[in-house]
Amino acid sequence: MLNDFQQALAEITASPRLCVAVRRNPDLLAERYQLSERERRQVLATANHPSMECTCSLYRANRLAPLVRNLPRTIAALTERLEPVLNDYWEAHPWPHRYGYLESERFCRWLEPLTADPAAPAGLRESWQGDRRDLRERVGLFLADSAIPLPTWET
Amino acid sequence: MTSAPPQPTHRPSVGLLFNPSTPEVMEQVSDLVEHLSVNPGQMFNDLGAHSPFGARFAFPASLLQAVAGLREGLMLNGHSFSLSLPSATPLDDDLADAISHVGDRLGGFAWLAEHLNVLIPPRGPEAHSEGGMALPVNYDAETLALLSHKLQRLRQRSGLRLLLENPALLTPLTEMEMDEPTFLNTLHRNGHCGVLLDLHNLLVSERNGGLSMEHYLARLNPEAVEEVHLAGGEELFGTYTDSHSQLTPEAVWSMARSFLPCCPNLRAITFEYNETYFQFIGCQGVRGELERMHHLAQSCALSPAPTGVPC
Repeated sequence: MLNDFQQALAEITASPRLCVAVRRNPDLLAERYQLSERERRQVLATANHPSMECTCSLYRANRLAPLVRNLPRTIAALTERLEPVLNDYWEAHPWPHRYGYLESERFCRWLEPLTADPAAPAGLRESWQGDRRDLRERVGLFLADSAIPLPTWET
Repeated sequence: MTSAPPQPTHRPSVGLLFNPSTPEVMEQVSDLVEHLSVNPGQMFNDLGAHSPFGARFAFPASLLQAVAGLREGLMLNGHSFSLSLPSATPLDDDLADAISHVGDRLGGFAWLAEHLNVLIPPRGPEAHSEGGMALPVNYDAETLALLSHKLQRLRQRSGLRLLLENPALLTPLTEMEMDEPTFLNTLHRNGHCGVLLDLHNLLVSERNGGLSMEHYLARLNPEAVEEVHLAGGEELFGTYTDSHSQLTPEAVWSMARSFLPCCPNLRAITFEYNETYFQFIGCQGVRGELERMHHLAQSCALSPAPTGVPC
């Protein structure tokens, strides 16, 4: 029960969509998690807490931060596509890597098909290539400072 | 840089939580800094159990050498935000060992503090992912047993005194078996940990529907408190947050002046700010906080030996 209780709190924080769905249909909790009656009321009260908007936003800001730091040109080039792209990425990968470089590298791999799409925003492919090259250079310097051999990158 | 003041033995020491602006700040305030706190998780990178680079942990030598040099002559304690001790999962032994390793590389931690939050969901789909979140803990018998076991194991592995920090709650839980000070008092009474009392976190929790600061401090055992954090925050989307973006608000100073002289085992008072707000706080802001902290520390007498149950 404790396991499911913590998982439920984490998932309504990571997914505003799920949080809103639970508000509208509290029975969703019973469908997804094994909770005691008290735990069910606690999770429901959290989903309806007025600070959940802020909590969900902070979580998304924390996930966005390493991408902005490591892939600034790519994030800028996505322009109005940024929000739907991030929503899709976070649906595909609900939990971030602890290490920001790995999270950024994973986002790069995930984004690659879009960069090759003729309908992609202008300049996205070039921004993505430049950011990825710079990212790998920084990882190389960091690994050298940590006495770890440089990897052979998957393309 | 001015020289570090001698380590006080009769009152709590005054210090800062390390962040990337600290070396610059120390150039101007080191005469007021008696200890540093360091988040060990910022001193290495966790590449995951299936690291593409072979090793799970990377310890950047240049950073560790710089911080080791900065803390020379100062007490250093670990202030971790990594282990997610209340998560319904076993203790991450390798991560605990990496934190200990950082302490060794920096010349030794006086103690290790962790946050009383669920930081990692129990069923993250990727090993060693972290949620980027700080969830509230359900204060009940099940969590108490889980935490007691993990604290005991962590203390055995690290050999360090352990403290738990009260969380900043944006969405406090309802209907708990016990309140937070009772939960912390119980852990302390059973010899599992002391308390890192973050007074600003109390303000955050109060403003978001948690216990009032007065009620909380009336229930918390003052003997359990070994370190205190001061900080400031701001509102975001109508919610008061622990953003570490401001100087310590007067409501927190007021509580500090009334409660800290009652804490016989208080060894350190630490100011936290986020480096991204340093341009607004500035060296003069930090100096002002440290001067007030010294005045506060003078009103607190430290017991020669810890009273109550040792941790």
